[in-house]
Amino acid sequence: MEIDGNTLIFIVIILFLFLSSPGGDGVSSQYEFNQLRSLKSQWSFEYDSFQNMTFNSNFQNVTGFKLSYQDVLSDSNINATFPLPSKDYDHWEQNQNYAVLPDEIINKVKENIWTDSDRSSDTNVFPSNIPGTLLGEIDLVSNDKFEQIPMPISKFFEPPTEFSDTTPPSGDTYMHNWPLYGEFHNVTFEVGEISIQITHKDTVSDRLSQSNGKLFNSQADKWKVLSLRIDFSDKNENEKHFMTTNAIYDVQRGRILLMTQSAKFHSLLAIPHYMGLQYQNEDEKMFNSLKKLVKEYWTASNFVESLTMTDLLELYDNAKFKCEYIGFLQLEPWNKYTPDQLKMIDDELNWPLGRPANLSSLPPLKLKSGILYSPDCGIELNLNNVKGKRYELQMRSIRNHLLLGIGLFAAQIYLLLCQMQHTNTPSRVNKISFYCFSMINLVDGSLATLYFIAASVLPQLYLPLVLSSFACFILASIFETRYLISVYSSQFNERNVSIFTLLRGNSNDSENNRATNATDNFITPDEASISGTIYGRLLFMLICFTLLTLSSTSWPRNIRMVFEYVLIFIFNSYWIPQIFRNVIKGTQGSRQRRSDGSVSQQRQDEMPLLWKFIIGTTIIRTLPVAYVFTYSSNVFRHHKDVKFVIILCLWLLFQISILYLQSILGARWFLPRMAIPEGYSYHRAMLSKELLEHGVSSNFTVDCSICMSEIAIYVDDVPETHDRDIQSFMVTPCGHIFHTHCLENWMSYKLQCPVCRSPLPPL
Amino acid sequence: MSMEMPTGLFQFPVTKLCMISTGAVALAASVSNCKYLFIAKYDPFISQYHQYYRLAIFQLGCINETDVALIILIWYQFRSLERLMGSYKYLSILSLAFIYTTFSLAGLNILLNKLLPWKIWNSLSTGSLPLVLSMFHFFKEYTPEIYQFQVLLAQPWSKKANKKQHVWHLNDQFLVNTLIALLLLNQGLVGITCGFISWLCGVFIDKGLFPGIERWRLPLVKKFFTHDSHASRDVARDNYRESSDVGEEINAPIRRYDTAEAGNTNSDALPLDDENANDEPQRSLGVQFLDTFRR
Repeated sequence: MEIDGNTLIFIVIILFLFLSSPGGDGVSSQYEFNQLRSLKSQWSFEYDSFQNMTFNSNFQNVTGFKLSYQDVLSDSNINATFPLPSKDYDHWEQNQNYAVLPDEIINKVKENIWTDSDRSSDTNVFPSNIPGTLLGEIDLVSNDKFEQIPMPISKFFEPPTEFSDTTPPSGDTYMHNWPLYGEFHNVTFEVGEISIQITHKDTVSDRLSQSNGKLFNSQADKWKVLSLRIDFSDKNENEKHFMTTNAIYDVQRGRILLMTQSAKFHSLLAIPHYMGLQYQNEDEKMFNSLKKLVKEYWTASNFVESLTMTDLLELYDNAKFKCEYIGFLQLEPWNKYTPDQLKMIDDELNWPLGRPANLSSLPPLKLKSGILYSPDCGIELNLNNVKGKRYELQMRSIRNHLLLGIGLFAAQIYLLLCQMQHTNTPSRVNKISFYCFSMINLVDGSLATLYFIAASVLPQLYLPLVLSSFACFILASIFETRYLISVYSSQFNERNVSIFTLLRGNSNDSENNRATNATDNFITPDEASISGTIYGRLLFMLICFTLLTLSSTSWPRNIRMVFEYVLIFIFNSYWIPQIFRNVIKGTQGSRQRRSDGSVSQQRQDEMPLLWKFIIGTTIIRTLPVAYVFTYSSNVFRHHKDVKFVIILCLWLLFQISILYLQSILGARWFLPRMAIPEGYSYHRAMLSKELLEHGVSSNFTVDCSICMSEIAIYVDDVPETHDRDIQSFMVTPCGHIFHTHCLENWMSYKLQCPVCRSPLPPL
Repeated sequence: MSMEMPTGLFQFPVTKLCMISTGAVALAASVSNCKYLFIAKYDPFISQYHQYYRLAIFQLGCINETDVALIILIWYQFRSLERLMGSYKYLSILSLAFIYTTFSLAGLNILLNKLLPWKIWNSLSTGSLPLVLSMFHFFKEYTPEIYQFQVLLAQPWSKKANKKQHVWHLNDQFLVNTLIALLLLNQGLVGITCGFISWLCGVFIDKGLFPGIERWRLPLVKKFFTHDSHASRDVARDNYRESSDVGEEINAPIRRYDTAEAGNTNSDALPLDDENANDEPQRSLGVQFLDTFRR
């Protein structure tokens, strides 16, 4: 097709249509415009009422806080409307008459979590920055004891039912009207695992203008705004819950309050009231300071104006498919540091300069206690033993692991080069198993891809990840694939031959066989086409395998573990194909070799793999697996299973010991003698009839086509020749005769008959 | 000896070492995120944290990528010094210059900061700038100028007959000079100060004011270089040895010839001709590496 100007413009327009997405607030129809306008007016209306709120006044028309726990307790069919008759909107107390929490939970928080003793002793020191991922256990306390507070979703969130709709419906819908109610709104396991990923939200950006974030918090010494991602599930990962929420961190007291936000729960406006849960009506100062924080956040992020359709859909989804949670967490103090030291530690972590901060002895971030309560689902969860490293330290240790990994790759490249140097003739490469190296190659190649993908996901570790990926890629695609190509091309003439024939060493002694072989006299394809095939195959396998591995991370734990164990076991059986290859090739053991004599014969019969390579490769490939499975606080958060590692090591040891026995006793030592067929023998007597084809001279000698000198031949039916040495000449399956010496030299370069190019069985 | 230096790094082991280590240390430091180790600032590292090790190692790694590139290029240009002195002496003088520049820079820095009440000289340069500058003296002193050339700069499109012409006289060393100037300017005032002091160090070493240029030789590394010089003396013989199977047998044919004459037996052919033993010439790792792409 010819591309002229018009076509080009057409293509550009088509691409523009495909690639452009609704910019700005993402509105693409009048319906959505109205939806967004309703959302904005809802938020700004509630924010206005928030601005009039004092520490002693109740919530009025704030979504999610219209009912208190007591309201629901007195009338379980109550609807969340404003204003409720006989509801006291002018006071606020920290009990279930006013709050959405039952008294039992409030008391638990007061007594067990945010205890007052912390406040009286102002000696406690808490780190002011707490980014990191904390892991721990979560227990279900109750999921049916508490009443569920009805929290409606405004109907304008719903998608249009008809194409012509322009105005969204008004009114509310309740949870029990939703089709999927119940499935996602309960926690049914007793004990599970939780991970809390904490990041700081020190800057916010006005999302529509895409400008850089600006600092908004004028009270950063008191409060920090955090963004949490909480995942919890049962041990087998059958039931998973996750949420992303904002949270407030009280730097002086080490308290974290988290409240999820959705279309049915506008928690941002409730933060001042619930953070002051501890103190009865007294701390006006604290309320006002938190109110100021919320205001600052609101104005800095230009909250209402920057709402987009994406936000709207997210709020709606969160409301529909998830419970709302309020969480109270208490951090353990770092009392062994002074505030000055903490500042130095923070500086060093943020901007490493080698300050004497002694980061290696930094204690983990740990939650002393914590509780999660869901007012709309009535679920109470308890957190136990939740702790984790600071984010920067975690990154450091991952970086060190990656560097170690690069070292391992370098060692593997060196060993492979030694191995390639060891087998530098086609005859020796022929004894290497193609599948052995394919397995190794596949693992390395997929590691390279995984590293590369990880590099784009983790920008902090970009450099070491890319370097690892590069080292891995060099190893897999250049060295190993090159080696595979030479192995493949040296074994090409065995492709259509059955294993049994190979065991016999491709002997074509019957006339019939020889005839077919002559017609099959295919020409080995050149390396370019072989490398094309192999690279293609490698790439295909790589993509499949990487996709499989990536998708396996999201499988349920049981299936994933079985998959992982099987996979590791299979990919650690890489010596098995080599053992079979040795059997097929039938190399002799060192004992027989010693008795055999000839130097060239010994070189031919050496084991194809270097011992240095075998042992080094095994260690390099087992070390990471052993680390991940035995070291319980490894960076991949993998579980500990020493038994598996021991079994794996024994399995590898077994493979290596078989290889070792093969090198001593001969490759076929474990096969019964009957099972081993007779191999092709190059040293055989000739018949005078056969010799006629070779232009035999009168004294039964022929010319060797390599050295052009005479060969004296042992002829079966001529008794005079029976004093001649049958070992001094070789007869190929295609019937050509050479000096032993000459042909052996030739065969270390090429396994083809020098005269007719038909394939030769290796020695 | 030809006037021009041969291109490439064949038989320049110390230059190769300097070039590779300049790049490798910088790369390793950046990958492992510990570039900051090579920052030497009096305040806070010396005065507050007493991290004196920084004064010892600040020359080993570059912070700035431009410095890495410049210093690698300069090391390459300095290979004439290695040819002049021989690898072993070159390495010894490098080590000597390293010690002297480190001590004088660190000492002067500490002294000035302790004596004077105001901090006028806080940071030292990074990368092996001091070492390069002290070797620069040797380079200018011992490398002969091979050719000169002039660059005529005239005003274009001028109708006047006697146009004003600027003439630049340049010689074959102008590349090195430019690189050094860039290197100094790249680190600002600190670079120029440290560079000047280290250049003085180079002068003092050469004139014998700082002792050691004749006597000081690095211990323990001599054997690497004596072997190399031997190899360079007869490359042809070396090649022959590589093609034969065993390195030990380099003189074997001669000796065997003697015995053969003495015993007067020609029956055993020379074992070196045994094709079985050396049907494949031994290939070095480098050759093997290249063969990976070639074959």
